Amino acid sequence: MNIFRNISFGQYIPGNSLIHNFDPRVKILGCLLIIINLFLISQFWGFLILGVMVWSGIIISKIHPRFVFRGLRTIIYLILFTMLLHLFMTEGEVIFRIWIFKITKEGLINGLFIASRLFILILTTSLLTLTTSPISLTDGIERLLSYFKFIKLPAHEIAMMMTIALRFIPTLLEETEKIMKAQISRGADFESGNIVNRTKNLIPILVPLFVNAFRRADELAIAMEAKGYRGGEGRTHYRELQIHRKDILFFTIITALAIIVGILF
Amino acid sequence: MFIRLENVNYTYNLNMPFETVALNNINLEIEKGEFIGLIGHTGCGKTTLIQHLNGLLTPTSGKVYIEGIDICQKGVNLKLIRQKIGLVFQYPENQLFEENIFEEIAFGPRKLGLTEEEIKKRVYEVLEMVDLDVSYTERSPFSLSGGEMRRIAIASILSLKPQMLVLDEPTANLDPQGRSKILSEIKNIHDHYGITILLVSHNMEKIAEMVERLLVMNKGKIILDGSPREIFSRHAEQLIDIGLGLPQVTQCFYELKKRGKSIKEGVLTVEEAEREVLKKIKALANNLQK
Ligand SMILES: Nc1ncnc2c1ncn2[C@@H]1O[C@H](COP(=O)(O)OP(=O)(O)OP(=O)(O)O)[C@@H](O)[C@H]1O
Ligand SMILES: [Mg+2]
Repeated sequence: MNIFRNISFGQYIPGNSLIHNFDPRVKILGCLLIIINLFLISQFWGFLILGVMVWSGIIISKIHPRFVFRGLRTIIYLILFTMLLHLFMTEGEVIFRIWIFKITKEGLINGLFIASRLFILILTTSLLTLTTSPISLTDGIERLLSYFKFIKLPAHEIAMMMTIALRFIPTLLEETEKIMKAQISRGADFESGNIVNRTKNLIPILVPLFVNAFRRADELAIAMEAKGYRGGEGRTHYRELQIHRKDILFFTIITALAIIVGILF
Repeated sequence: MFIRLENVNYTYNLNMPFETVALNNINLEIEKGEFIGLIGHTGCGKTTLIQHLNGLLTPTSGKVYIEGIDICQKGVNLKLIRQKIGLVFQYPENQLFEENIFEEIAFGPRKLGLTEEEIKKRVYEVLEMVDLDVSYTERSPFSLSGGEMRRIAIASILSLKPQMLVLDEPTANLDPQGRSKILSEIKNIHDHYGITILLVSHNMEKIAEMVERLLVMNKGKIILDGSPREIFSRHAEQLIDIGLGLPQVTQCFYELKKRGKSIKEGVLTVEEAEREVLKKIKALANNLQK
């Protein structure tokens, strides 16, 4: 009964590749550029080039494609569903007809484009989270957000909230599994019954989960206080982020490619 | 035979880079009415093992039989198995969720579809089993002390009328008084109501004098299985080797023996030790008189 075995989307796989070692800021920005591009382009060649770019990133990162696909597995149905919707629901030149369904040329193209868009989007974000530890990810985000300090953006606080949230996701999942097992042992049944009963069945999970989460939040707050935490003001970092030449190079290449692909396609 | 485990293996995260072998070829038979202790280092697989007894985990390979039925087959009524074998998790106070204690204990019986009358009867019955007053039924489970919460959690399993009770470190994080209270209740549940007990514990002292049979696990294997006396006398060395150690009195006598004193091995309780020491002193005094 390993309920959460399949959740791997966003999991960090430690490694020592070129991609792993890029500055997180550069990786985040590069990721953003590719995503923006994905929604700008409208030609097949654009998708192909972006796809090849991201895939070569995965190859360079030496991450086993199994992990990438495991992340995709949960989302593949969503992609297929949107693709089918587009396939059948777009008006235009009919090229194929089954019973009351008709497939149009425009629908086919739209469907394929949407699917490629989502597919590459997931690949890109997977590549980011697979190769960047949560700590450096939030570090990078904090630094990026701190460029917006002049509009009073609480960069440190946002980053700290993200760090804590990321830190507690596995803990909460583990705890949910434990509570479920305990309630099953007490006679609860989470597998059968109609929707009303199933919803009611969540109470024995949610109440203890929330009680524990609040208690934990309280303890964490006290522990942080005891360690002298008082927000981001004047706080230094154990590991200072540094932009190296390779980061600048990487960023230049990505930007150049993004602009070319964006303009051409 | 009540429970039989045959060559049970279990691996967490099978076929992934971070897979952990938690159980390694476990063979175990349990009869009705036994009172068994299970000890072992942290991370040796105790919790994993007991989750196999009521089908919460299915072995990666091997078989689990409950009353002759292979519970890993498709179509086995696991609900019935889980009612027969009550599993009390570690820190069971973290599962309480109802408004009052009556409802908390009635949760299981209600799921069994009993009448209100029967449910009431069961709740009062099990409250007595864990030695709590009837007046508790009105209180919120969150208003209790840690030890009381734990007893309520045990009661909520007992209300399913299990034939066997499996407890995962029921005394963890309790003060000495709360600890003895829970343990004496467990003993009472066994002696008085004839419920088979499997008790996972780190507390060697208590377990040594309570249980009739002791299982010792190390790195996913059951390495010793026998009466506490036998294990603590004959296998003392092995226990020390794997870093589990012995109960304090046993350890003391073991050291004396090692220093060449002719003294009994496998002494389990302080009372027993006292008797032994007095016997020795008397013998010594007699010798002197002569
Ligand atoms: N959900 C899980 N996912 C992955 N590995 C796990 C999981 N639960 C336990 N393990 C691993 O399996 C091994 C056995 O764990 P188990 O919880 O059975 O030990 P234990 O004997 O109960 O320890 P403790 O005395 O600390 O409770 C450990 O190495 C542990 O790290
Ligand atoms: Mg355990």
